[in-house]
Amino acid sequence: MTIRNKAAIAGIGQTEFSKDSGRSTLHMALEAVLAALDDAGLRPEDVDGVVKMAANNDIAEIDLLRSLNLPNLRYFSEIPHGGGAACGTIAGAVSAVVSGMADVVVTFRSLNERSERRFGQSSVGGGIGGSQAYHIPHGFVTPAQWVAIFGQRYLYEYGHTTKAFGLVSVLCRKHAATNPHAMMYERPVTMEEHQASRWITEPLRLLDCCLDTDGACAAIVVSAERAKTLPCAPAYIAAAAQGTGSRQQMMTSYQRENIARLEEAESTGKELYRTAELEPKDIDVAEIYDHFTPMVLMALEAYGFAAPGKAPDLFRAGRVELDGGLPLNTHGGHLGEGYLHGFGHIVEGVRQVRGTAANQATRARTVLVTSGTGVPTSGIILSKEPY
Amino acid sequence: MASFRRPYPEPDRDTAPFWEAQNQQELRFQRCTQCQTVRYPVGPLCPQCRSFETEWITSSGRGTIYSYTVVRHQTHPAFPAPYTVLLVEMEEGPRIIAQLRAPEDAAVAIGMPVTIDWEEGELQTLPVFYPPPGG
Repeated sequence: MTIRNKAAIAGIGQTEFSKDSGRSTLHMALEAVLAALDDAGLRPEDVDGVVKMAANNDIAEIDLLRSLNLPNLRYFSEIPHGGGAACGTIAGAVSAVVSGMADVVVTFRSLNERSERRFGQSSVGGGIGGSQAYHIPHGFVTPAQWVAIFGQRYLYEYGHTTKAFGLVSVLCRKHAATNPHAMMYERPVTMEEHQASRWITEPLRLLDCCLDTDGACAAIVVSAERAKTLPCAPAYIAAAAQGTGSRQQMMTSYQRENIARLEEAESTGKELYRTAELEPKDIDVAEIYDHFTPMVLMALEAYGFAAPGKAPDLFRAGRVELDGGLPLNTHGGHLGEGYLHGFGHIVEGVRQVRGTAANQATRARTVLVTSGTGVPTSGIILSKEPY
Repeated sequence: MASFRRPYPEPDRDTAPFWEAQNQQELRFQRCTQCQTVRYPVGPLCPQCRSFETEWITSSGRGTIYSYTVVRHQTHPAFPAPYTVLLVEMEEGPRIIAQLRAPEDAAVAIGMPVTIDWEEGELQTLPVFYPPPGG
């Protein structure tokens, strides 16, 4: 039994990405879902499943059900652990569709991360329980600070300078600059600008951190057979997987033997390649979750594109450029297009497979899309053909 | 701004002895009495041999900097920037998060030895670390 190419993403939708949407996250989620259903040639009445990110705790599946007047949801669940869950929603949808528990599954992410609750600001007070009790009371409060600990160790282990992080920033902003949907459209940056940008939490500068974005994205998952009958070219799901690592915590798995590696991404990658019966060299395009630049380097290594500590060479050699053989974050990612908690990467992966991206890779038969790292994570491999 | 209360740990049935010891200025870790593995963070079961039998040991308070970040951009009203957060690998093995207490221009580097001290808060005493004298 395999899920390989038995389901597909048949529709995608998104709102504009901005600093102030002027409307609720539910409003934007509904816009994105309706756009995705329209794209798929399906009606709201066809939807019988919803898999959502637990991080979207302001929107429940029943809010979609009620708003869209859906007759009945046969399958609904949510995936925990913040941005690590994005591709996990697709994995959940695939489970439902392949097992026959649902026919048309909606996945989405909607957030007013800039105009409402900014993840980079904290005012948490009072008593802190769970694993955060060991961190928050020390003024160790934001994702940037938690990732800085991994990033500092990465530089130390492999003898890099912060210019290694700058490589990621410059590349993502370059791709965003030619993507009209991107918040940083026509606004590329240079390595000098990266190095001159202000410190947020050393070794991370402003340009190492993702944008704050208001917006929503949605994707519709159906069986491969159903997808063939619908108007858009199916983005076949060659693999979908979730993964964890040793001594796993939420952004602070610091008790691992080596914190300059992303174990959860390594396990996810192994499962994806096993399911898809592919190897890293078979991947044409990579949309890698970029909340902070060091994690992109570590993820490229975890997913098998470079040896430990060697990811910066992929940038220096031009491999990650649009014509370089492994184009990376073709939409500009969270650093350039907008921060949709990994969902923008899924939507872009589908566009690449369809051949309709703003920065279209010449060869996009297979696209790896990954989700948040430092947390239990997930990934998918999309395929143009159901091999 | 200045009156904003610092967040503090909320003890639970597993962690209460850990936080109570910190209020007595002791850093404690659990040690499995079956396989002697030191474990952190606090938990009811030894992940190594899956025994519930455990005892508390007191850390020497000495460790080395395993990683760190200098927080330049203030993100929380109770924590004025700049300040340095360390991940210290203690002699007993666990790596713990705490702030560095040193002049702002003092050198900080991975591998540097540090020693524990304690700062009393309203509800919870917490560890901080100092570089070695003259270092």
